Amino acid sequence: MAELERVVKKQEKLQHQETGLKGTFVSVMIVGGFIAACWLFAFIVFVIRNGG
Amino acid sequence: MHIHRLERIWLIFGISMLFLFLLVLGVGTFVWGMAPPHSGNHHSFDPTKVEEHAPFDKPGLKKIGENHYEAVMTAYVFSYAPDVIEIPAGATVDFIVTSKDVVHGFQIPGTNVNMMVLPGEVTEISHTFDKPGEYLILCNEYCGAYHEVMQARVIVT
Repeated sequence: MAELERVVKKQEKLQHQETGLKGTFVSVMIVGGFIAACWLFAFIVFVIRNGG
Repeated sequence: MHIHRLERIWLIFGISMLFLFLLVLGVGTFVWGMAPPHSGNHHSFDPTKVEEHAPFDKPGLKKIGENHYEAVMTAYVFSYAPDVIEIPAGATVDFIVTSKDVVHGFQIPGTNVNMMVLPGEVTEISHTFDKPGEYLILCNEYCGAYHEVMQARVIVT
């Protein structure tokens, strides 16, 4: 019985970990996308201005 | 070690972004020859004796090739010498600038020309002026009471 409880708890913990990172993932992608967009914008401005 | 699937995705995303930036930086530097404003000669000289040092003993605009000019300029409180440069459209100008007194700025808005001018150091930058018009050179380093009036012009005809 104790063994069964331990397995159930372990599974619950795993499931919790699997679902718990979705929000973090979205946040990371938003921040990453913002950094990439800013970098791209600055780079394009630099290249355009370099040409005169 | 267990890495969550989503963690793996954002790690790959972050690391690839880093490598992409480094790649573009490398290509820009070694293939396109892009560089920040630099000093042609690294030796320092006495800023109070600028006129005694070449090329500042003969400041001004000099034609050095087909549509290629060299502008030897000095910055001082609160102006540049020369303060007007006239060139034809499509001309490339190599600006060679030094300061006679304090730290000044040298910026042409709307272009990549933007550098610090340090006393006793020579700073160089090149720019090709394709579009005709009047370009403003301004000081963007606070240099004193009349900093805001410190300017020069590039007239492209």
